[in-house]
Amino acid sequence: MAIPYFPGCTLSTKASGYDRSGRAVAQALGLEFQELNEWQCCGATFPLSAENAMALVAPTRLLRQAQDAGGQVTTLCAICFHVLRRTQHFLQGHPDVLERINWFTEEPYLGNVRVTHFLELLRNELTWESLRAKVRRPLQGLRVAPYYGCLLLRPPSEIQLDDPDDPHILHECLEALGCEVITFPYQSECCGSYLVVNKPKVPQQLAQDILTSAQRHGAQALVTACPLCQYNLDYPQKSVSGWTLKLLPVLYFTQLMAVALGLPSEDWGMENHTVDPRPLFEPYLTTVGQGRTGGDR
Amino acid sequence: MSLNFHEQIAKVSNQSILLCYHCHKCTAGCPVAAEMEYGPDRILRMVQLGERERVLKSRDIWLCAACETCGARCPNHINVAKVIDALRMEALRSGVTPAEPDAAKFHKLFLFVVQTLGRSHEASLLIAYKLWTLNLLADMDSGLQLFLKGKVPVLPKTIKGRGQVKRIFVKSAEAVAKRAPSSANLAPAQEVQ
Repeated sequence: MAIPYFPGCTLSTKASGYDRSGRAVAQALGLEFQELNEWQCCGATFPLSAENAMALVAPTRLLRQAQDAGGQVTTLCAICFHVLRRTQHFLQGHPDVLERINWFTEEPYLGNVRVTHFLELLRNELTWESLRAKVRRPLQGLRVAPYYGCLLLRPPSEIQLDDPDDPHILHECLEALGCEVITFPYQSECCGSYLVVNKPKVPQQLAQDILTSAQRHGAQALVTACPLCQYNLDYPQKSVSGWTLKLLPVLYFTQLMAVALGLPSEDWGMENHTVDPRPLFEPYLTTVGQGRTGGDR
Repeated sequence: MSLNFHEQIAKVSNQSILLCYHCHKCTAGCPVAAEMEYGPDRILRMVQLGERERVLKSRDIWLCAACETCGARCPNHINVAKVIDALRMEALRSGVTPAEPDAAKFHKLFLFVVQTLGRSHEASLLIAYKLWTLNLLADMDSGLQLFLKGKVPVLPKTIKGRGQVKRIFVKSAEAVAKRAPSSANLAPAQEVQ
């Protein structure tokens, strides 16, 4: 099945490992990502103020490309997902704004595209059961802590993906891969986001809090769906002077899926991490072919 | 009749600011409250009281990371991040010098890169930002590490449709200048629940 896919700027540059592992995993599951034609930046932030409709022009142009591609679009980047999903939600309730934006973009968007995150496709269309059946290297005994961050969950009335205070979607995905999944209190705390540009000390402190908490709960790795969370949690571990915490790899869920589905290491996309996660998987590389595993949460 | 400060911010943000009864839940959950002068609940109180200048000059409105934890937990369903965004727009519109000027510079550069290339490009963006803010040494370790690890491609990729993207930017600038009906300042619409 072909799925229209929007990678976004960060997945084509800084987070290419997320893109590579995501495409490989989708293919292994019988879903073919078809990149949107001539896509541009989604704008990277959703305009919160009702007066600022101009900032919706960029995401609306992408929705229009998705309209041509068959009426739906899926993303891996939590930021792009957040922007596109909220734009779609807003435009459905504001046909007058849509009309004005269409005047700007010169190509009418009709307002009916379905925006999904890849995790949602896995949960709702593929199902965790069939994912579990395709696992070839069950990651049994690997203690991973899902880190949801903000943009995948909030605001819940517009995003409608999961419970903002008790999210499950990453838990369920990782359980299907056979991992031992750890819930820790900072799982949906903010990583500091764009403040890394002009106030780097703030995200560094937040990263320290988040990583400390995950380690105290016994995690061997943190798993996220957001390239900015991955960056903010990974890079300070080796470049902030006086960093005393034990190193903790920060991975994308698609990378764990690539390992568990038995894909070759070229498809994992783990070369550019500050804290190399690959040693975690050495014990599992000989266990191909054990089949179904994992338990219900 | 002109609106007072609180009414104006309530209108732009589309939030019922007067409903806040100061339970402090927003500030308790705010990841950047430790860096703030006041914290989100006191900012709301100052808006209620019409303390326009104090609010607009505060660095707090530029520290918000828009994580929306406050809004998700507010017992009165006030989306505080929307209020903060309305305050930023009001600060820029009325010419108040931002207490965090670097945030505004980054914003302008980001738009410039997208206008030129059609896509964002971290390498160009970071270099330009460092040059503009004359902050060449701070944080260069992480930037350099990214280059060395090949995380940031040195040459930007662009798209064929960038001509259209550029036209959209030009068109919107003209519309804002002319205050045409299709300008950026659309009338505040009703919030969808």
